[in-house]
Amino acid sequence: MTYEPMPFDHRPDAVLGAALRQALDPGDEAAFVARVLARADQARATAASWAAVLARWAGAGIAAAIVIALGAGYLVGRIASGPAGRPSVTEALIAPPTQAPVVDVVLASVLER
Amino acid sequence: MAVDPQPPASVARITPQDEAALVARAVAGDRAAFGLLVERYAGVARRVARAVLGDPDDADDAAQDGLLSALVKLEQYDPRRPFGPWLLRIVANAATDRRRRRKVRQAEPLDPALAAGGPRPDTVAERRELSEQLRRALAELPERRRIAVVLFDVEGYAHAEIAHILGIPEGTVRSEVFHARRRLRVLLGDWKEQ
Repeated sequence: MTYEPMPFDHRPDAVLGAALRQALDPGDEAAFVARVLARADQARATAASWAAVLARWAGAGIAAAIVIALGAGYLVGRIASGPAGRPSVTEALIAPPTQAPVVDVVLASVLER
Repeated sequence: MAVDPQPPASVARITPQDEAALVARAVAGDRAAFGLLVERYAGVARRVARAVLGDPDDADDAAQDGLLSALVKLEQYDPRRPFGPWLLRIVANAATDRRRRRKVRQAEPLDPALAAGGPRPDTVAERRELSEQLRRALAELPERRRIAVVLFDVEGYAHAEIAHILGIPEGTVRSEVFHARRRLRVLLGDWKEQ
């Protein structure tokens, strides 16, 4: 009897499948599984150590940012509350006199004319 | 309807629902759950990778790359869909990438006498020779055709699932399987006679 499967058979060809399985089967599956799991553990450990490094860097970064923010705040506050600089010419002209004019001096200037 | 792929006996009873639960546990960092998934799919992953690459060591490296890549991408897996095709797509891509990166070894041409149907391989040596010839014949096929016939005839996946794995229409899968079978069956012709 000759085994002659149909060309468009919808079912898997058991004979061909078994022969191909035998041809492709590398064997020692347990060793392969152990190898993959070991590699996965290694990858996890690497990821965890990177996370720890990044966490340490993040802590230092936050501390540095706080120090910088405090320093900047101090400087800004000091500038805002410090003595005013020299007024400009326009400000001096517009500003009201700080003391009343002396009457004798005013009269003397009038009389001299 | 697909024939269930043949995983090791220890994990053969895992149902699709259990599989989705295993994936969820693996995503949460459960090593044992990932281990069960690897056990279940190690065989098919290695065979698919070997169908693409030929060399068993390269194939194991690619299968490992694929499985680890799947572990990283597990959160992207949609549990409403079957896990096997999702995983095998990643494995097949890993094998294809590896094949592209390496210098492709030229497959030795198939012995015409064997291609025409050699003696019936009764002995272990003859079976080994048949396996070697099948591997060479596979290597001569286009990559997509190789994967399609292995997934269909060896692993028992349905055309629709293979279409998802390869990212091609179902009709193309049927065509690929047909052409691969026609080539490979020549080798088995004499052996199949009883």
